[in-house]
Amino acid sequence: MAGNYELADSSTEQAVRPRNKLQGKRNRPPYWMILPALFLLVVIVVAPFLVSIYTSFTNLDQYTISNWIHAPFVGLKNYISALEQGNALGASSLQSLWVSISFSLLTTILITPIGIFAALIVNKPFQGRAFVRTLFLLPYVMPVFVNAITWRMLFMNGWGMIDRILSVLHLASQNTFWLIGPNSFWAMCIADVWSSWPFVYLMVLAGLQGISEDLYESAYLDGANSTRSFFSITLPMLRPILGLALLLSTLNHFNNFTLPFIMFGTPPSPQADVLPLNIYITSFQTFNFGLGAAMSLITLVIMLVPAFFYIRLLRLGEEM
Amino acid sequence: MKLTKKTIASLITLSVASALPLSASAATSSSKIVTLNLFVATSSSYEAPETAMYNKVFIPEFERQNPGIKVNFSTYNSSTQENTELQTSAATHQGPSIFEFGTSMVPTAYATNMFHVLSSRDWAMIGGKNKFFAAQLKMSGPNPSHYIGVPDMMLPFSMLYNKALFRQAGISSPPTTWTQFVNDAKRITNPSKNQWGTVIDPEDSYDPWKVGWQLTRQMGGNFLSGNLKTATIDSKPSIQALTFWFDWVTKYHIASPNDLTYKSTDAMSAFESGNIGMAILQTATAIPSLKTSKVKNEYAFAPIPDVPFGMKSRPANGESAQTIVSGQDLAIPKYVTGAQYTAALKWIKFFTAVKQEQMIFTHMGYLPVNKSAYSNFKAFDTPMMKAFVKSELGADPTPFSGAWGNLEVVYAGVTNSIATQIATHTFQESNIAELLKSADEQVQSSLQ
Repeated sequence: MAGNYELADSSTEQAVRPRNKLQGKRNRPPYWMILPALFLLVVIVVAPFLVSIYTSFTNLDQYTISNWIHAPFVGLKNYISALEQGNALGASSLQSLWVSISFSLLTTILITPIGIFAALIVNKPFQGRAFVRTLFLLPYVMPVFVNAITWRMLFMNGWGMIDRILSVLHLASQNTFWLIGPNSFWAMCIADVWSSWPFVYLMVLAGLQGISEDLYESAYLDGANSTRSFFSITLPMLRPILGLALLLSTLNHFNNFTLPFIMFGTPPSPQADVLPLNIYITSFQTFNFGLGAAMSLITLVIMLVPAFFYIRLLRLGEEM
Repeated sequence: MKLTKKTIASLITLSVASALPLSASAATSSSKIVTLNLFVATSSSYEAPETAMYNKVFIPEFERQNPGIKVNFSTYNSSTQENTELQTSAATHQGPSIFEFGTSMVPTAYATNMFHVLSSRDWAMIGGKNKFFAAQLKMSGPNPSHYIGVPDMMLPFSMLYNKALFRQAGISSPPTTWTQFVNDAKRITNPSKNQWGTVIDPEDSYDPWKVGWQLTRQMGGNFLSGNLKTATIDSKPSIQALTFWFDWVTKYHIASPNDLTYKSTDAMSAFESGNIGMAILQTATAIPSLKTSKVKNEYAFAPIPDVPFGMKSRPANGESAQTIVSGQDLAIPKYVTGAQYTAALKWIKFFTAVKQEQMIFTHMGYLPVNKSAYSNFKAFDTPMMKAFVKSELGADPTPFSGAWGNLEVVYAGVTNSIATQIATHTFQESNIAELLKSADEQVQSSLQ
């Protein structure tokens, strides 16, 4: 019987082989369909990136920009200049890198608990919840430009509202000079926290909608109070979305350009000279495109390392 | 309906075939039309009325006079946009047909080698060099045979002063020397009333170099050597000039410490609030805003003092430099050729004609560069306008160097650092020399 079966199987196999071959061909992923996307990726991402690499090895400036392909080759000079100490214009790229890292980490650390707290407040139904939810989004929907101008006015020395309030409360002098010097960093952080915490709030609120009520009920029956439920259910369940929110927030803050640009103008004090602003001034205001490109690439390489470990640590790809 | 390959192919063929005659006819009709794309500066405060002038007056009139030329325009109101458009067009060899630049930007534009050097024939088509204020042409190119820019508006600087505060302090006329300026400012200053003799804006991106350069010129110095090969920002006159400016806050106390964080708009707002006696480096474009401010009946313009502090007259090599050659220039990129180039020259001729120049002044506040625009025009027959024109006659051009843009930004970095040091009580007068030395090295590296 077994032999018969084998015979039967073998004959069937022979009979269906051509059809299987055809089916296999049909089932093969149609890779050619990604060609348009691939083409756009090359044009929009890969080509400019390669041009940036090329530019970083040249002395591309106002004298050579019209014929940029033939800008003089200067080897690693731009990379060395980028790592040198700051000059009359402001911070070096390493100083700016440090400012950007501090700014992005600090603001992310500050906005995370604010966002979680706000999301928890409006997660449970209550009268006027829709209004409060809208209110919470206001700082986020306000254009960065308006936000920056407003905070600039608030931080004005002597007559700005912040200085006035602080001096009335005897917490600081009326001459704190928030917009220049070391305090400019804190002014930038405060203005940014005010406008960006709703991002975490939105993400967490979305995450909270996905947590089943059953979990809380079971925990309640087991005697868990609300604090225990928060740390044992809410936070672990939010981990993937919170991880993504923190990653995006850190990267967004690292690339923040508009806020310091409007708040302080150019060039800003070195303490508020975030890397994107420094690169912009170097490239587009002093026409030193080669140095600007080198600064960008150094940043990219440095940022790739923590980004890689960060993503691995959070295992975002697996849990999302 | 099931679409077969045949059906799809037929549809494509049909649509392509039907589109061909349309595109062919469009090409035929558009081949007769020359299109000009203008890239023009507008003031951020008056963008709407300025845009309306182009849309409703200038362009319709020009197109009526020149059938076959169509004009489009885009505007910018910041040096950031001005820089970006120049850089993009230089790298890609495409963009606007005519650029409007601030005069201090012309050397940078010249350095890019992307603009037409105007020939004698071109100048003849525009109406000749003689129709323009001679001083204004000094920023059109490195020398008369290499002009790329055609002046279309000018903005001589003057000193704005508050007549009410002058009366209150018993001052009869504006100062003509910096010593008088400091003394008058001291008489006006009353910190308890938040009333100050003058105002500074060291956080601005562009005002600081203008003040520093003007004061340096009056003391006989400059920021670059005569052959434009050597940076001289750390020269003695330059150090004295910058020290004097910050002395207004630190030594003479005639400007508020709050000014250390000011940009030009903050300084102007402070003047408009009625608390400032004198504000230097102001132009006629401030008039529309002043007319709606608290000081609308109390402001006046006067030439900026031109005798250095502590001196009775300028040093032998000092220049009056009451104003920089300032304003706007039009330039045509090299990628504009043939009929489009001729059309661009026609636009420049039209735009710098008397009628348009007078309208520009009336609606935008920019002074005409066309000398004939001043004859028989009542708006200029006032002491205020005469003060501006007088300033213009003695206007000093900035060195025509492609690195001037870098210098402006680097200089702002220096004033920012000094302001920070003063604010944080770490300032010593010797720091100015050190910072200017560092700035000098940086500018030197960008000189060709």
